[in-house]
Amino acid sequence: MSGPKTGAKYGRDEWAQWGIALVLFAVVPLLGKKYFVSMGNEILVMGLFAMGFNLLYGVTGMLSFGQAAYYGVGAYTVGLLLSKGVAPFWVALPATMVVGGTLALVLGPLCIRLSGVYFTMLTLAFAEMVWGIVFKWYDFTGGDNGIQGIPMPEVLRDPLRYYYFTLAVAFVSFWMIRRIVASPFGAVLQSIRENPERTGFIGVKVRRYQLAAMVLSGVFAALAGGLFAGYQHSIHPDMLHWTKSGEVILMSILGGASSFFGPLMGAAVIVFIEDMIGKYTEFWEIWIGGIMLAIVIFFPRGVIGTFDTWITRWRDHGKHAGTAARP
Amino acid sequence: MRKQGRKWQAMLAIGLVLVMGLAEVASAAEKIVIGALYPMTGRAGRYGIDSVSAAEIAMNEINAKGGVNGRMIDIIFNDSKANPAYSIKVAKRYITEDKVNFLMGVVSSAAGLAVTEVSKENKVIFVGTDHASTALTTEKFQPYYFRVSNNTYQSAAAAALYAKDKKEWKKYYVIGPDYEYGHRTWEDFWMLLGRQRKDVQLVGQAWPKLFEPDYTPYITAILNAKPDVLVTTFWGGDTVAFIKQALPYKLFDKMKFYNYDGGGNYELLEAMPKGLPKGLVLSARHHLNWPDTKQNRDFVANFKAKTGRYPSYAAEGAYAGVYFIAEGVRQAGTAEDPDKLVAAMENLKLKLPEDPEGFTSYMRPIDHQIVQVQAIGETVPNKKFPPATMMLGNWKVFKAEEIIPSVAEIEAARKAVKK
Amino acid sequence: MDGSLLVAQLISGLTSAMTLFLVASGLTLIFGVVNVFNFAHGSFYLLGAYFAYQVVAVSGVNFWAGVLLAALGAGAAGMLMEYFFLRRIYGRAGEAGFQILLTYSFILILDDVVKMVWGTDYKSISKPEILSGPFSFGEVTMPRYDLVVIVIGLAVAFGMWAAIKKTRFGRNLRAISSNREMASSLGVNVPLTLSLVFGLATALGGLSGALSAPVRTVTPGAGIEVIIGSLIVVVIGGLGNFWGALVGALVIGEVTAFGILFLPQWAILFSYAVMALVLIFRPEGLLMKRGAVG
Repeated sequence: MSGPKTGAKYGRDEWAQWGIALVLFAVVPLLGKKYFVSMGNEILVMGLFAMGFNLLYGVTGMLSFGQAAYYGVGAYTVGLLLSKGVAPFWVALPATMVVGGTLALVLGPLCIRLSGVYFTMLTLAFAEMVWGIVFKWYDFTGGDNGIQGIPMPEVLRDPLRYYYFTLAVAFVSFWMIRRIVASPFGAVLQSIRENPERTGFIGVKVRRYQLAAMVLSGVFAALAGGLFAGYQHSIHPDMLHWTKSGEVILMSILGGASSFFGPLMGAAVIVFIEDMIGKYTEFWEIWIGGIMLAIVIFFPRGVIGTFDTWITRWRDHGKHAGTAARP
Repeated sequence: MRKQGRKWQAMLAIGLVLVMGLAEVASAAEKIVIGALYPMTGRAGRYGIDSVSAAEIAMNEINAKGGVNGRMIDIIFNDSKANPAYSIKVAKRYITEDKVNFLMGVVSSAAGLAVTEVSKENKVIFVGTDHASTALTTEKFQPYYFRVSNNTYQSAAAAALYAKDKKEWKKYYVIGPDYEYGHRTWEDFWMLLGRQRKDVQLVGQAWPKLFEPDYTPYITAILNAKPDVLVTTFWGGDTVAFIKQALPYKLFDKMKFYNYDGGGNYELLEAMPKGLPKGLVLSARHHLNWPDTKQNRDFVANFKAKTGRYPSYAAEGAYAGVYFIAEGVRQAGTAEDPDKLVAAMENLKLKLPEDPEGFTSYMRPIDHQIVQVQAIGETVPNKKFPPATMMLGNWKVFKAEEIIPSVAEIEAARKAVKK
Repeated sequence: MDGSLLVAQLISGLTSAMTLFLVASGLTLIFGVVNVFNFAHGSFYLLGAYFAYQVVAVSGVNFWAGVLLAALGAGAAGMLMEYFFLRRIYGRAGEAGFQILLTYSFILILDDVVKMVWGTDYKSISKPEILSGPFSFGEVTMPRYDLVVIVIGLAVAFGMWAAIKKTRFGRNLRAISSNREMASSLGVNVPLTLSLVFGLATALGGLSGALSAPVRTVTPGAGIEVIIGSLIVVVIGGLGNFWGALVGALVIGEVTAFGILFLPQWAILFSYAVMALVLIFRPEGLLMKRGAVG
């Protein structure tokens, strides 16, 4: 699995990629249907969550099944601070990042002692315990009633305005993630993914980098959670359940964990399909399951990855054989 | 990414946008559109699917008589997945895209709490047809919300009145699913019983997780505590599993089994054609065999004719919901003016299948909660509704006015939340 | 708290442990030999329950024959899934991710298939008449049916152990789980063995579902409930370790049974806490040798 190039200059292609994504997200909601705004907002939030997750999975090779804990904790940070009147949104949103990062600092060291499926299971166990606390601590978090009616500041109450706010925060975060991946730090993470042992041999303190990756991933997940709270004004312990962690894993793999915008694409596809199919049939499970199955079988590099391959093959078909570069 | 990659991405995105646009549902200005949200998958799926069928029956009955002031009713259904975030999404889509006049449904109280916010923000009336959390009509009340099925307080109040007269019921043990509904249903009952009986005592409690598959460790603990009454706040499959697992321990010979909110749902009676013990004290939000009025018999028969099976109680709630909306529109003279509708609806009277002779369900303005009679019974042999071989009987009926919180109580509860 | 309560809890913990063991043993087998994390394992439990319902309650076949048929049916379904789908992703880069996606998609698909074929109402099977009562020894009672399930569980455990240790098939399994390529070059028909193992494992899951059907609720969605529990058991016992699944199941069963006596409010968290402790202090599982898993 290869990731985005490290240290490469941002070529024209890449600027174009960013440009298109930004333009699409900026313009589509203006096309009239209010529903695009809501769907777009959700795609951006889940996309941010998935991109943050992919820092851990696609870039560093650590499959965490517990990112929902950070996402949920971020949402509850905003939800609790705002509904109890303790802090305004402008303070609460950055606070999510601090809370998410801190939680990762606490749980991370225990998890990274393990690797592979053991790591995955421990992240799941911890996430479920965090869920359990939020679920049971009725007096503080509202338990499984969740929190509704989170009061947002006047300037962000309009859905369209909030959408552009989310767009800004999300794209700035994407940019930050991009810079992280392209930096020497990012190179080390990718090298850890390829072979942790050898990376250790060249003197890298592997554990520290892994922990850093977990913290960063937690920070972005929590930020996404906070944005969600601002978008729906209602939050619920379901946001911390392992099924949410699973969703974000699916989005990353579906879109392509080895391409930069893959997770965002995966988020868009899943949100869109769930919505579309849910409208028409009660048997949405078999449709979504079927589509996922088809994607696994026929699109081994995820949706974006496979498009890339097709396009390359199609383009190189015209050139002379043997010299065309293959991804 | 290659240059062509850009183009493909763009084309894919534009394609998505076009599909979304084409998929828009054409809104019909003449019809009264109701956006319904019910769970159609998962453990609560039965209630959702029954609700859908019953709502369709109501809609067809009303439209066959010419609709409401000449306007036909149209209902859109979507799975709520018992998921609050998803329910909010769908509710918003109903409002912005499908231009619904009303929202209806949900079975999960958490989803109900979420959707009522959407209803409040958008001033679209939301008619609750099954979820029972009292919060929606007390602390979280908002004027565009109405509920046409009873809440946990009403079931608990009836249950307390029933238990008050049972002098031999002194030691209580409670077991229920560990979430808000499970706890609240019990707490309301225990508080109300405590006001009337000073000699009752709680000898133990157990809170397994919702959908817990294995109750045997709990059963042995309960047997050890030797209560007179076992109160359970299970619903659906959990009630079935618990009873099946408790039978070999002869638990039902040793204590009374009391499940007064959802235990008497037909699905339980249907799921255990063999082996269901006699004498379980149960209630439900609607019974197939009580009251024995023509309206109830017709409702049950029509449902059976349409779907091939008998309805769980969620069905009657959905049926009531559609009729409530229709009646509200008829009296308000509009389906578009939410405030006129609220004024008409909050004083509405509606004769429902679950109303005994001489009583008509009515809405209460203070909390928009429908006021109804509650009946509690025991399992007795009855083969009139196969495949069930037992139904409820030996009814005790509780007057509607005796089981609702007083206006003072409601105002106090609301004030307490204002902080 | 008197002795008879403790004994009663011990025994009730044993029953839930056995059902969990049957499901978990299949899961651990698949992980150890086929190197696949079968997220959809709970769905085979579900299929087993529904097949048993169909055969016993609808077609009137004898209960035990029905249970056996249900297990075989689940096994066949598992083999189909392995042969037509799972096989395609063996050896792919990032296989773990695809395994998750694929098995998750099967959870969704099978859930809807079950719903479409059988509907959403709760299905009932009755236990055989002679087993519906209690069995008492001394002060302790337990349901006769549960006793039989425990015996069956132990029999399965011993049977599997004997098969793995003594038969050629078992040797092949062990060879494949150590080194697939080597086993292949030594003449083992690896693809066939993988499919058979998968089928055997899902048959165990189906057996558990069929045996549980008379005492639990048969409903779509029952699969998801079982998968997390069995995942935890497998991790505690050691991934790929067959006896570990039994030990893990016993630990979880008993911890829950006693936990609810002392800490009833936190019952939902016991299993996760135990798993976390094991992973922190003995990540390879309780039964594995201390090894490098970090």
